[in-house]
Amino acid sequence: MTQSIQLNQAVEHLDPERLSAFIDGELPPTGQQGIEQHLTTCHTCTLRVLSATQLKAATARAGHRFAEPHEALARLTAQLRSQIQAKPQLQAEAKRTARIHSIPSLRLAAWTVLAAVILLTISLVGWRQLHQTNTLAAELLDQHLATLSSGATPQVISTDRHTVKPWFQGRLPFSFNLPDATALPPDTTLKGADLTYLNNQPAALLLFTIHKHEVSIFLTQRAISPTFTTLPSTRAGFTLHTATTPDLCIIAVSDVNPADLNLLVASLLQAQAGG
Amino acid sequence: MAVMFHSQCLPIYAVSLLPRNLRHTEALRTMSSATTRGGDFEQLALPLFASLYNHAHWLTRNQDEAEDLVQETFSKALRAFDAFQPGTNFKAWMFRILRNTFLSTRAGIAASRTVFLEDHPETLDTTAAGPTPEDNLIRLDNQAALHAALERLQPHLREILLLCEVEEIKYKDIAVILDVPIGTVMSRISRARRTLRSLLQPPLGASL
Repeated sequence: MTQSIQLNQAVEHLDPERLSAFIDGELPPTGQQGIEQHLTTCHTCTLRVLSATQLKAATARAGHRFAEPHEALARLTAQLRSQIQAKPQLQAEAKRTARIHSIPSLRLAAWTVLAAVILLTISLVGWRQLHQTNTLAAELLDQHLATLSSGATPQVISTDRHTVKPWFQGRLPFSFNLPDATALPPDTTLKGADLTYLNNQPAALLLFTIHKHEVSIFLTQRAISPTFTTLPSTRAGFTLHTATTPDLCIIAVSDVNPADLNLLVASLLQAQAGG
Repeated sequence: MAVMFHSQCLPIYAVSLLPRNLRHTEALRTMSSATTRGGDFEQLALPLFASLYNHAHWLTRNQDEAEDLVQETFSKALRAFDAFQPGTNFKAWMFRILRNTFLSTRAGIAASRTVFLEDHPETLDTTAAGPTPEDNLIRLDNQAALHAALERLQPHLREILLLCEVEEIKYKDIAVILDVPIGTVMSRISRARRTLRSLLQPPLGASL
């Protein structure tokens, strides 16, 4: 095949592929001009080009078929903002770690160590709380990530609250209610549950899916978990949502958009109030 | 993963060893830079949302799956945005991520196992001629008929046709998105048009 017009030798009409590339403007200038010259003398090919152009335009119109769902853009924007906020925090932490290895002077290091000791002494109480909160957030995230592995099977597998809730009887020093499947937000399903430990205390880990996103819900006694209320709202791109009732602390962890996660937590809160 | 997340707590000791103002400034600069980068990404990517969603819907054939696919695409693209080379085609880059993400789904894996005949020219009947002038007498003002024909088109033909006609992406960029040679793009688009035309003919071919 050459760069010149590719014609069908038997009938001397345009090759379909070249015609297609011609109407897309994808031929080199010489090829484009050659075909334009051929069209001035060939009525058949002119009709074919006209028809192909009409089909192209009609396909473009028909292909614009699916409009995005209402508020889908808002959900996406919220997800991106959350991710953007999480990203610089991780980068800043990484930079801080890197900087510690580049202190040029031992003298400066000595002074900064002294300053650090003083600073640490003064802020020990506040730091302990921050550290505990960070550790808890890491523990929650680790447990959620563990549930995502393909080999992780819940201890109780059921979509029925009447199976999941009784399973915890005798295993937890507290009880809780689960919403009926009809009371859950749209496209939200209970998958099963695990008995787990948070902050060295027993907790229920409920596993849900929202759309295709996995959600971990941790339920623990409020009296023994005061620091959960100060957890960060995001960590490493995952949303951590905390809510409390007079008796329970509910923590949700997922990468689903925060609005959907809030709906699930709200339905759980409602179930506790109704129970 | 557990080690990674727990280790994020450790720098709290180390950070305090730096002069406080230096640490604060550095952290702010890092956060500011990353936030600006995130803003740049939003500015470039969000206008493509409608196009990506429309294409994702054609790929998945499901509204929820399409939205999830687009969300995952944006999330991946944001994470990889530092690797995007300015001056190259951002739209093609996003569509490539969308397609690769789709191919990692169950439906996508099934689609990727299909072998396309036109990618193996030796199996094709090369003597097939183009349509005659009479074949061109099809109606194109019937939107429902076009939708039905697009639905019936093989997924790989529909996909390339949508990239070319709806998204108006050039052949060289389509080749990058689909990870095929540009010659395959040219032959596949031509074949897609001929197939679409033939699907439009049976019920309507007699009328203009």
